[in-house]
Amino acid sequence: MPDESPRKFYGLFIVLGLLVSVLVVLGYYKDQFRDWKTYQHQFVKEEVRRATTPQQRLLAESTPVQIRQIVLPDLNRVDRCTTCHIASEDPSYGGYPQPLAYHPHHDQHPFDKFGCTVCHRGQGRATTTAAAHGHAEHWDEPMLPLRYIQASCGQCHQAADNPAAPKLARGEQVFETNGCRGCHKLGGTGGLIGPELDTVGARRTPDWLRKHFTDPASVTPGSGMPPQKLSEPDLEAITLFMLSQTGGGLPGYYASMKVIPSATEGRKLFEQKGCIGCHSIANRGGKIGPALDDVSLRRSPDWIMRHFRDPQSVTPGSVMPKFGFSENQTRALTEFLLHLRDQQVSLSLPGMISPVERGREVFRKYGCIGCHGPEGKGGVPNPNAKTAEQVPGLQHVADGYTKDELKILLLRGQKEIAPLDPHRPPPPLYMPPWRGVIQEGELDDLAAYVFSLSTKDKDLGF
Amino acid sequence: MKPPLPVRLWQWFEQTTPGRAIFRVGVPRSNLARAQAMVSSFLLHLQPAKVQKRTLQPATTLGLGLISLFLFAILTVTGVLLMFYYVPSTERAYNGMKDLEFVVSAGLLIRNMHRWSAHLMVLAVILHLCRVFYTGAYKRPREFNWLLGVGLFLLTLGLSFTGYLLPWDQLAFWAITVGTNIASYAPVVGPKLKYLLLGGNVVGQEALIRFYALHVIVLPAVAGFMIAVHIWRVRKDGGLARPDEPLEAVEQLDAGQLPTNKSYGLMELAKGTSPQVGVDPEDLVSSWPHLLFRELLVFLAVLALVLSLAVFWDAPLEQFANPIHPPNPAKAPWYFLGLQELVSYSAFWGGVVVPGLLVALLALLPFFDRGRAGVGRWFARERAVANTIFSVCLLVMVVLTIIGTVFRGPNWSWQVPWKEPPAAREEH
Repeated sequence: MPDESPRKFYGLFIVLGLLVSVLVVLGYYKDQFRDWKTYQHQFVKEEVRRATTPQQRLLAESTPVQIRQIVLPDLNRVDRCTTCHIASEDPSYGGYPQPLAYHPHHDQHPFDKFGCTVCHRGQGRATTTAAAHGHAEHWDEPMLPLRYIQASCGQCHQAADNPAAPKLARGEQVFETNGCRGCHKLGGTGGLIGPELDTVGARRTPDWLRKHFTDPASVTPGSGMPPQKLSEPDLEAITLFMLSQTGGGLPGYYASMKVIPSATEGRKLFEQKGCIGCHSIANRGGKIGPALDDVSLRRSPDWIMRHFRDPQSVTPGSVMPKFGFSENQTRALTEFLLHLRDQQVSLSLPGMISPVERGREVFRKYGCIGCHGPEGKGGVPNPNAKTAEQVPGLQHVADGYTKDELKILLLRGQKEIAPLDPHRPPPPLYMPPWRGVIQEGELDDLAAYVFSLSTKDKDLGF
Repeated sequence: MKPPLPVRLWQWFEQTTPGRAIFRVGVPRSNLARAQAMVSSFLLHLQPAKVQKRTLQPATTLGLGLISLFLFAILTVTGVLLMFYYVPSTERAYNGMKDLEFVVSAGLLIRNMHRWSAHLMVLAVILHLCRVFYTGAYKRPREFNWLLGVGLFLLTLGLSFTGYLLPWDQLAFWAITVGTNIASYAPVVGPKLKYLLLGGNVVGQEALIRFYALHVIVLPAVAGFMIAVHIWRVRKDGGLARPDEPLEAVEQLDAGQLPTNKSYGLMELAKGTSPQVGVDPEDLVSSWPHLLFRELLVFLAVLALVLSLAVFWDAPLEQFANPIHPPNPAKAPWYFLGLQELVSYSAFWGGVVVPGLLVALLALLPFFDRGRAGVGRWFARERAVANTIFSVCLLVMVVLTIIGTVFRGPNWSWQVPWKEPPAAREEH
């Protein structure tokens, strides 16, 4: 039976065997050949080139080529970025091309404590360039472009008081002064017309956000949000501020850094804790404790710090209570007091400003500007609204309502806006109800402010 | 001519004391020794010592059962390797997948092999089932083996389905959510069954650990045992079904007597002097080496296929599982998409009646289709009715699966794959 001998399959056997071998070799090659090895070899070569003594040379040559990683259990991150960016902590590599370049200014945020992706985003576990930089399918966190990197500061630090993140502070200011809160909730405060923004920075890309500010309908068809006329720096800043709203609460140590011990923060604390009840600044305030205008001349920073921790330890018999400030709060207050002489401090303390002024602050705080315009002058487009397709200004409110009626309107809102043409879609903007959001005292102040906008008196002039 | 070195080394080893203790029969040189080699080996004795020449022809079976077996073997080996790295915890499973891809040597290759083998095995098992049907090979005396086969088919689906969850990505989470929802449509037991599977009402840590235990221990152990019985029964039921199978032999088997065929006769295990009626001894050949060599070739071919898929295409891994962000549409694994498509018309009919009826019909098939006409021949004219009914059912399931896979877009609406789908509305 010669034709039945398996010998006739020997050729097929050899071909299949070779095919399997080739595939195994190919698979091995794909697995073993990684970009990071090339970069590490470049690094070793550079180290060897720099070596001046035989010992240094030997040391450089023995640099292991291996995956490097920063394990951050608290942040649930493993960052392998230093596998390629191997010299990022070595200042002598300043100015080198990537990936061998040195990362400047990392002294405040040591890599072994913070890793990389918590600020830069991307995919820390990845070891290939595209995947690590987050430009991969099914990875929602691409690297943050460097021009927006200050957004990451906002994850831990308050926006306004971080001197190293001026763009972030500017972004917050743009947010608060352009009335975004009128429609959008952020940090629990704001209107309900637009979506909440607490996690918008994790969901949207910088490009999307920019487009959304200049032409909302282009990225969100049917959006009722009025296009924002912002200067380029303002646009960049507000985009950056939005990117900082990731909603990712950082644990323990990282969250404790929320308060940067700055004078701004100290001033805020000073106002909140009612220090002015006993102490005075520029002759405003109580007389129980000493005036504080020149405290920086009288006391050392260390003395002030100890005084905050335990007043009696430095001033026996002092009646000032122990407030139990955190370390950073103590430092912030101290910073504030030390800088009292350097700058014109105007404290906005309760009882010192008029209801109208406070009301203006309320008007700003809840983003009424967003729809009613600065100083309530109106002019924000609201397509198909009977009132000239605009949100009405507030100059004539005092003519049509009593203060109590106005307060009821504020609390209830006005969901139905009369349309110009009943066949077109209803106007997108409406007055949301503010019950449970605006506080009782704030409501009185707001009504006072709105009444102050009345043009009646000025009209009498002609 | 001297045999090559490996063969000589092997022959030397067999002469040593431990060699003789392990392998009672050396490299066989006579037909008797070849038969002894088969029956004296634990693994080889699952197969007959001699096979019909017909069995060796590719067109007889297309090697589909064998292919399924080898895929199961590849899955077992790669699966154990994956177990070294996998931790069945919702917090660590997904990161484990990333580490396999980016850090573990050959980790991605192993995972790719496992993933593609799993899909191929479902496909091979379905095709094997079709082959057995179209050749009428499920009939007497092979009813029980058909039943085992249907069981193995369900086990294969179960293995693939439980494995689907383990990467803990969006694909896994929502496919299992959809799949277990289909199961819950069964009357009375459905919701309980879903609760039992998931260890709760939603897919979570309890579901992951249950699916893991089922996937790595329970189902493979049961399947491995059943595969062994399944192969052994092929031999015990008189080899592959063939058109010229004598009725006496079938009745002998049914009566529990050992058949008087050649290999048993050779080994003097069965009494009787005459070879089987109608079987020319020339039609039988030794399994060693004719069958074994061909099996090795099939194994190499399967391995080459799996490797080439694994080298060039990566297994999918989507975003980390997010219970509050369902993809639209959320789809079950592909082999359940026909059912999901049916469920989209009627949960009760698609989720309960149709699959229940199909499985029941498959299981009971050999017990009501008792005729012996057309056994062992592809698409026998005598079986036109049965073949037509089966083909229509098969075609409907295939068409439904294709619709569910390709033609269903957001909200399970009709979608033409070559057209850009309308942009999903932004949440605003």
